[in-house]
Amino acid sequence: MSGTVDWGYAEAYDDVSGEVAIVGVGDADHTAASGRTTKEIAIQAVERALDDAGLTARDVDGIMYAPFMADQLTERDFQAHFGVSQDIWVSHQGGGMRWAATAPYEAAQAIRTGQASVILNSFAVAWATQRGDMVGGPGQAHVDELYKQNLEVPFGWFPQPVYFATIARRHMHEFGTLPEALGAIAVACRAHANKNPTAVMHNKRLTLNDYLSKPFLVEPFRKEDCCLISDGGAAFLMTSVARARDLRRPVVEVAGVGLGTSYTGTHWSQQAAFTSTPQVFAGPVAFRMAGITPSEVDVFTCYDPFTIVTLMQLEDLGFCAKGGGGPFVTSTNLLHDGGGLPIQTHGGLLSHAYVLGIAHVGEVVRQLRGTAAAQVPGAEIGIYGGYTGPQASTLVLRRAR
Amino acid sequence: MSDTSAAPEARSGSSATHGSAKNRSSFPLPDLDWEPARGYWEGAAAGELRLAFCGSCGAVNWYPKPTCGGCAAAGFEWRAVGGAGTLFSYSVVSHAFLPQYRDLLPMIPALVVLDEVPGVRIVTRLVDADSSALACDAPVEVVFRALRFVGIEGEVVVPLFRLR
Repeated sequence: MSGTVDWGYAEAYDDVSGEVAIVGVGDADHTAASGRTTKEIAIQAVERALDDAGLTARDVDGIMYAPFMADQLTERDFQAHFGVSQDIWVSHQGGGMRWAATAPYEAAQAIRTGQASVILNSFAVAWATQRGDMVGGPGQAHVDELYKQNLEVPFGWFPQPVYFATIARRHMHEFGTLPEALGAIAVACRAHANKNPTAVMHNKRLTLNDYLSKPFLVEPFRKEDCCLISDGGAAFLMTSVARARDLRRPVVEVAGVGLGTSYTGTHWSQQAAFTSTPQVFAGPVAFRMAGITPSEVDVFTCYDPFTIVTLMQLEDLGFCAKGGGGPFVTSTNLLHDGGGLPIQTHGGLLSHAYVLGIAHVGEVVRQLRGTAAAQVPGAEIGIYGGYTGPQASTLVLRRAR
Repeated sequence: MSDTSAAPEARSGSSATHGSAKNRSSFPLPDLDWEPARGYWEGAAAGELRLAFCGSCGAVNWYPKPTCGGCAAAGFEWRAVGGAGTLFSYSVVSHAFLPQYRDLLPMIPALVVLDEVPGVRIVTRLVDADSSALACDAPVEVVFRALRFVGIEGEVVVPLFRLR
């Protein structure tokens, strides 16, 4: 469908392959409602990322965050907390979701032009704590958009679990996708979370039989198809590959980045290619820049608010044919040590933490360093598929030689 | 989740496209004073399914934006269209994501493609339906019903759909 309908486009990106490295990664504690503020969470993640890189706050001269999300860590917050006063380049093209994949592209531009040399990207949420005050929880941003508020919400088409259950239903109809396929994704995420002490669902097991026996929440979704709501955050530090070689960790470089956009924005109801994501536009750009094909990817992560979103991105990024996602995930070993295609090796948004993708990037970095909790043996290339709905992005990371 | 809030358009926060649901006492009923969809509710009250057609090029525009997505002209004409269509997709909701949905559960929000205007998907809800008998692409037809929510004053007649 996406091949025959004009429904979006790819951003024309310069080649930044091999210019930037991710040199420090840090996760805040991922928890249920904790009473922490969003900024406190972000600070904890930033402190851990600095420690990981062996850098200090004084070394940071670039900060990226998402100003349209509440209470993100700004340059002023950073300076006030760490007591530093150097000039800081600031970009609002940071944070999680699709920005967690494209922040390295923006960072490469800033480093090229000498605007910054060590750049921090962070993202945090306290939605488990704040949930009761939000209309529809994380759906609040949607309900305040007037087209949705007037033409969707009155009919019960709200919030995100309903959008994506509707997409999943259509995918099942068009391609014969089975509940077992969605279950395979949920189960792989949980198995990885069970190996990861930082995961919210670390102690909760889930088999395919368990999954299939759970009640529907929004049929065809069960609760297990849907992401967690948690308090948490993560941060990562970027610098040039040349400088990264002088730092303490194995160098993980940005090999490719791509960005795709759907014309219909957050109005999923009107998206012409209803069962596709803009990864069909983003993926080819990133893979071409990296000089690889999907078959060379050792670790797959993507923004996964719902099982179907992982399934669609696997298809749209070319790991299987469009519509073939169901058979692909049920016939491929998705676990970190199974020799197939390991997916969401930290547990993903479904079972690790709902920090909107930024922790996925840290996970891929750890995999390529060889220090992940559920390590993929010999992993050299990993990807993060970013997603917001209106946009999708692809980040290809590679262990530098 | 915000696959969302991050939408480029959601970031503008412009008053033309954003308004707090919390501050409108009739929520989640539609706001009959919100200009872009006024013709939709007026049509439903008159027992007609009306859509916005560009006054200049004649293209249907759904959702109804201030200017035509095809030719960029301003000015729409609300015209009645036939209420026969097919069920594009649906879900069966058994959790009250808003407290106001509580008395409607289980409910079946759905997307319907109209036979006469196949490029449009109407967001609606299926009524008089046994959820186990549904399938994508099943034939459906419009019905006009008064929408009410628990704890919310008033009602609004809206287009809903049932199997035909």
